[in-house]
Amino acid sequence: MTSGTTTHAPAGSVTRDVPAAPRRRVTKRKDRAGYLFLLPWFIGMLFTVVPFFASLYLAFTDYNLLNHPQWIGLGNFREMLDDPLLRQSLKVTFIYTFVSVPLSLVVALGVAMVLNQGIRGLPVYRAVFYLPSLLGGSVAIVLLWRYVFGLNGIVNAFLGWWGIEGPGWTSDPDYALTTLIILHVWTFGSPMVIFLAGLRQIPTMYYEAAAVDGASRWRQFRSITLPLLSPIIFFNLIQSLISSFQTFTQGFIMSGGTGGPADSTMFYNLYLYQQGFSQFHMGYASAMAWMLLVIIAAFTALNFLAAKYWVFYDN
Amino acid sequence: MTTRKRFARHVVLCFVGAVMMYPLLWMVSSSLKPSRDIFTDLSLWPSNWDFSNYPDGWTALEQPFTVYMVNSLVIVVLSIIGNLVSCSLAAYGFARLNFTGRKLFFVLMLGTMMLPGHVLLVPQYIVFAKLDWINTYYPLLVPNFLATNAFYIFLMVQFMRSLPRELDDAARIDGCGPFRTFWSVIMPLCLPAFATTAIFTFISVWNEFFGPLIYLTDSELYTVPLALRQFIDSEGQSQWGQMFAMSFLSLAPVIGFFIAGQKYLVKGIATTGLK
Amino acid sequence: MVDRLPRSVNRRDVIRVAGLAGLAGLGLSACGRGFGGGDDEPEGGAVQLNMVWWGDAKRAEKTQAALTAFQAKNPGITVKTEYQDSGPYKDKLATRFAAGDPPDIMAMRMDSLREYADRGALLDLGQHGGAVDLGGLSDSARTLAEVGDKTYGVPAGLNAIGFVVNKTLTDKFGVTIPDGNTWSWADLAAFAKQVTQASGKKVYGTAFEPATLANIIVFTRQRGEDFYNAEGGLGISEATVVAWFEMINNMRAAGGFPPPGFIENVGASAEQSYLAKGAIASQIIPTNNFLSYNAAAGGNLELLRIPGETQGARRGQSVDCPHLWSIASASKHRDEALKLLNFLVNDVEASKATGTTRGVPPNSTVAEEIKPGLQEDDQLATEYLAGLQKESLPRSYTYPPGSSKIASSLATIATEVEFKRQTPQQAAKAFLDAGRKALGK
Repeated sequence: MTSGTTTHAPAGSVTRDVPAAPRRRVTKRKDRAGYLFLLPWFIGMLFTVVPFFASLYLAFTDYNLLNHPQWIGLGNFREMLDDPLLRQSLKVTFIYTFVSVPLSLVVALGVAMVLNQGIRGLPVYRAVFYLPSLLGGSVAIVLLWRYVFGLNGIVNAFLGWWGIEGPGWTSDPDYALTTLIILHVWTFGSPMVIFLAGLRQIPTMYYEAAAVDGASRWRQFRSITLPLLSPIIFFNLIQSLISSFQTFTQGFIMSGGTGGPADSTMFYNLYLYQQGFSQFHMGYASAMAWMLLVIIAAFTALNFLAAKYWVFYDN
Repeated sequence: MTTRKRFARHVVLCFVGAVMMYPLLWMVSSSLKPSRDIFTDLSLWPSNWDFSNYPDGWTALEQPFTVYMVNSLVIVVLSIIGNLVSCSLAAYGFARLNFTGRKLFFVLMLGTMMLPGHVLLVPQYIVFAKLDWINTYYPLLVPNFLATNAFYIFLMVQFMRSLPRELDDAARIDGCGPFRTFWSVIMPLCLPAFATTAIFTFISVWNEFFGPLIYLTDSELYTVPLALRQFIDSEGQSQWGQMFAMSFLSLAPVIGFFIAGQKYLVKGIATTGLK
Repeated sequence: MVDRLPRSVNRRDVIRVAGLAGLAGLGLSACGRGFGGGDDEPEGGAVQLNMVWWGDAKRAEKTQAALTAFQAKNPGITVKTEYQDSGPYKDKLATRFAAGDPPDIMAMRMDSLREYADRGALLDLGQHGGAVDLGGLSDSARTLAEVGDKTYGVPAGLNAIGFVVNKTLTDKFGVTIPDGNTWSWADLAAFAKQVTQASGKKVYGTAFEPATLANIIVFTRQRGEDFYNAEGGLGISEATVVAWFEMINNMRAAGGFPPPGFIENVGASAEQSYLAKGAIASQIIPTNNFLSYNAAAGGNLELLRIPGETQGARRGQSVDCPHLWSIASASKHRDEALKLLNFLVNDVEASKATGTTRGVPPNSTVAEEIKPGLQEDDQLATEYLAGLQKESLPRSYTYPPGSSKIASSLATIATEVEFKRQTPQQAAKAFLDAGRKALGK
């Protein structure tokens, strides 16, 4: 309709206005549809935004939970520069994130690919592999780790057969973080389920066509699976990155909330929690929270920029 | 693929499966041991069988365990409905519609995932207390109906974006408005994403501890995780056997839901035969 | 519109979903729990107190029995209770205070008492003179919650730390247990080494947490220093920290104490303890847990005093409490809360109901009166406490605000020393620096 009007209209200032009017109406209608779909989310933001900005305000105050917050400007942030435990917690969190995220995603994708080949008993395997994610943070399971990873635990008994004397996997400060990374990879079930769902959305005709052309399996993986799965890989990457930067429960339960042994599992969020709820430094904790937000946002933004080169959307 | 290769693959998968299953087996076996044996008898096969943990644990707390199970189920079912409806609407808006401020809102949505929850706790409590919602399920449910869970929105956005654009165009040519397109074209194709969302919601809400802890005070409103923690007193005597027995029983609905729901995980384009 | 639905969402699915939603709705309207209008206040001028504590279901049952007795005697007052495990309890309490919605009467940890009290959140019981009668409490018990000239709580029960030895193991290995009232730290070291050697390294002589404050506090007091002094600062000297860690290092080198990494920091209950598993022959426990440890370890534990009590500069042991009862200063029902507190502390019936779930009753007369009805192990623990309270022990001071940071930094350096990543000297210096910084002094 719009194109029709432009071609027949004579040159002049009027012509530019003619197509503009309906386009604005179209945009408005589009806007309205978009906003309508987002309506629940907009209302929900009211619940989210109020606490969100309250915590931003608290980041600039001295707030002990019991008395009114006192404005101290950048005081909390200045204190953060000179806090060795904060540096330690950043170190722990970065190591954990950059080792466990790629590791668990590769394992999850690998297992999902194997399971997607029409294997017999797929539902059973899928359920079994997903099981650890169901149990993950339960109190009962943490007790088990002590028997599995203890100095006289199952892992060390196994190593003992090969003549290796294993360490105290959870009590030795040199090994505790490694143990947590292993446990994280063990719960690869969640990304695996998402990968599986994504793999199922790839139309089989692509593979059929490729098979006719005589493409190898690796070639099919590179040229069909990876690009078509890339939005899902990207989702899993962003999601694991964000949740891994925010790791709390694992560190909390394993060390009983201390971040020990010797601060070796002192995750950023665990330290933040200690500051806020054990030491009543909620102002400082809020400042820490906003610094984490900036760090996570930076990494997420980087990924979104990089996504332009490897994530493939059909549009 | 040769038979030998297939067999080898099953062997590897079974071994990995055993590692994955071990904790569950351990939990079952512990629930069948008398409390004093749990930490001394480490074999998976109990040397003294004790079935009393199940009936005793069911009635050990202030309310019979049925109450906690029903409470948790009510919250879970409503949360799933809430998340599916509100998040899919928002996701469709973000993934397939163009409107002013879309990018900004999307960034804002992602941003809400990035702030640690602990610093939001006190302000949130104040908001809910002002609404007189303390000791009700509203603080646990209403946010789910208002798409506050960015994780699921983002998940669905990614799934919707990977669907071919031609689908929308074809629908538009057929005279479908955005709502019809959403309902009749996109939704059916996103069944795996919906199943994933439903399963994840079930698990996370079923296991959620902190929210119910903070907002519920009456024991008759308690959820399963709150009840399970009442078997334990880290500074005194704990009823471990009963705790394991009830932990195992409380896993049953989650595992059941996963097994029932997982067939929808695979109902994508590939199996519906759509081109 | 339903007619035009694509195949993959068929009508049956829609009906199923609708049915599910309907069921959920029915379930809701049937019970309606959790969808009311928040907390309901009782009608007719009755007062409802909110009381919270931490513990398990058994403790709750006993406490509820005491509260039932209270409500029978005070018809106008009902008590609404809530309890959790100690960790979550602490978080919820802080959140409720911060949001201006505190409970009326609550269990208060010794190490967070002043975090709340110093900020005016707790009621000074001294201001309400006779409301809670503290006359029946020993000096050691009464001063536990005293900050300056104010009193912010009453011990819910009393305990102390004690040394337990598994007599079955020592008999088996033919090792004699030193005299529990007069033994020294050197005696402990010699005893522990003997056990380990006699067992062929299958059982370690002793093990206790070097970083548990209660343990190092006794050692500090024996050396004539206060861990926390009257001014709310750190009174412990660098030399004492060094001596503590060197002593444990030496025991470890001699074999009496298990190797690094042996003691896991997960879980602290009696059933999970290495004592119960027979991997160690002795350890330090809170006396109120004697019964559960004895049950878990086979019923042949002997309860001794901490070593070094007769050799040091002064007595080290002190009377302590698992938790205090405190009242929120913002409570709308102060008088009723005070009444309940007085009942819990001084009424025999209350203590008969609660027993020793929070330690020995703080009121000595009450403790004596309920003793005959207790189990044998609890009677023993009660006598242990009664004995300590009759002796003149140096006064101990409340944990200053910021002390949780001190506890965690002690845990950190203890591990550093355990794994020989730091010498006791380096660790002591690091600990005192961190401690002074945490207390702002």
